[in-house]
Amino acid sequence: MANGGRQLFCRVITPQRMVFDGQADRVVVRISDGELGVLADHAPVVSTVVPWDVRILQGDETTVFATSYGFFRVADNLVQILVEEAQAAEEIDIDQAEHQVEQAERELSEISEAAEDEEDVDRIREDIERRRRIGENFARVAREYREDS
Amino acid sequence: MASLKDLQRQIQSVRNTAKTTNALQTVSGVKFRKAEARVRNSRPYAENMQQMMQDIARKAQDSKNLLLIGREQVNTVAVATMTADRGLCGGFNAQVLRRTMRFRREQEGELKQVALGRKSIAFFRFRRIRLEETLSGFSDSPSYEKAVEVGRLLTGLFEEEEADAVYLVYNRFESAMVQTPVVTRLLPAAPDEDQEDQQHGDDPLAAFEFIPGVDEILTDLIPKYVETVVWQAMLESAAGEHGARMTAMKSATDNANEMADNLTRQMNKARQAQITQEILEIAAGAEALGS
Repeated sequence: MANGGRQLFCRVITPQRMVFDGQADRVVVRISDGELGVLADHAPVVSTVVPWDVRILQGDETTVFATSYGFFRVADNLVQILVEEAQAAEEIDIDQAEHQVEQAERELSEISEAAEDEEDVDRIREDIERRRRIGENFARVAREYREDS
Repeated sequence: MASLKDLQRQIQSVRNTAKTTNALQTVSGVKFRKAEARVRNSRPYAENMQQMMQDIARKAQDSKNLLLIGREQVNTVAVATMTADRGLCGGFNAQVLRRTMRFRREQEGELKQVALGRKSIAFFRFRRIRLEETLSGFSDSPSYEKAVEVGRLLTGLFEEEEADAVYLVYNRFESAMVQTPVVTRLLPAAPDEDQEDQQHGDDPLAAFEFIPGVDEILTDLIPKYVETVVWQAMLESAAGEHGARMTAMKSATDNANEMADNLTRQMNKARQAQITQEILEIAAGAEALGS
């Protein structure tokens, strides 16, 4: 860790693996109250992450990840982004992401018909809704940042 | 002394056993390497999640979040025990079950048992211990979705006041040879106080800003934290299981081979004895005829 140094480091971590671990000049992430740009020596913050893109700028290079929900922490020039899913923009399978959205929408329409236990239904609906939003976000990021499109 | 035929049959049977255990060893070896990599890759997430939980728990000491601070009276304790689905892995399952029984004896309140993994289910059923919930089929190669399912189930026990504390007993993976059974408290999620005081003398956390607020983050964080601990436990347990099976099968193969060698030696001795016997008989017979 770069204690006191002016170099910012960034880590994007999922339950499966560390998807990014490296230096950064600037990190842009969407936390619960909007987009946050982090430069070196940023004040310590803990927050939640909503599905959007995480942009890591280093020199002329920008690395973009689409993420799901998760958590954000910055302290001692180390940015940690903990999310359940994160994929580099160029690695996203658009078809799969769209399929996820379609499936979620179908499930949403089915669930309202078969409503029984209300509390459970609310919970399930929220789950599906989250999945839909994550899928949508992945597809959007892929389209927006893919070089060949 | 066993007859030649018997010995031959025994050797064949031991050799066959060695073949089976050797095959199991190879399969477990492959699975073990995969599972070990998964544990290693997932550790950063779990460690960071734990750290975040600690940071925020210290900041949130006056929080009213029951999942964090717990209820005043702990009357019922839920214990979830995680084993493998299958056996043939040495003391792997037994040691975690033994640890569970010890933990249960140490508790004063009412106990509720949750069994994760087929061996665990069978163990408690056999002892006629009532099972609150059972889940299995994931020990070989756990998925995060399963961890979410288990995490929710356990959080649910606390939220619905079925239990005032939730503990998880599982095998922590150290190496292929060593797995240590551990007990961790999942809920309430606040870290043990004595432990954290030692770690952080100064308090850099006063400066932390929590957006939107400590309580809002806690509401999201605690269920995720529980899922993460369960997920990590599943991966540790899976790596431990394959490692334990690999080690157990290796010693089984070695033992079988040694036994086959010994039996072969015995058989050779028996054969020689038989030949000597026959020669003696022939010689005696010839002498009788010649005289």
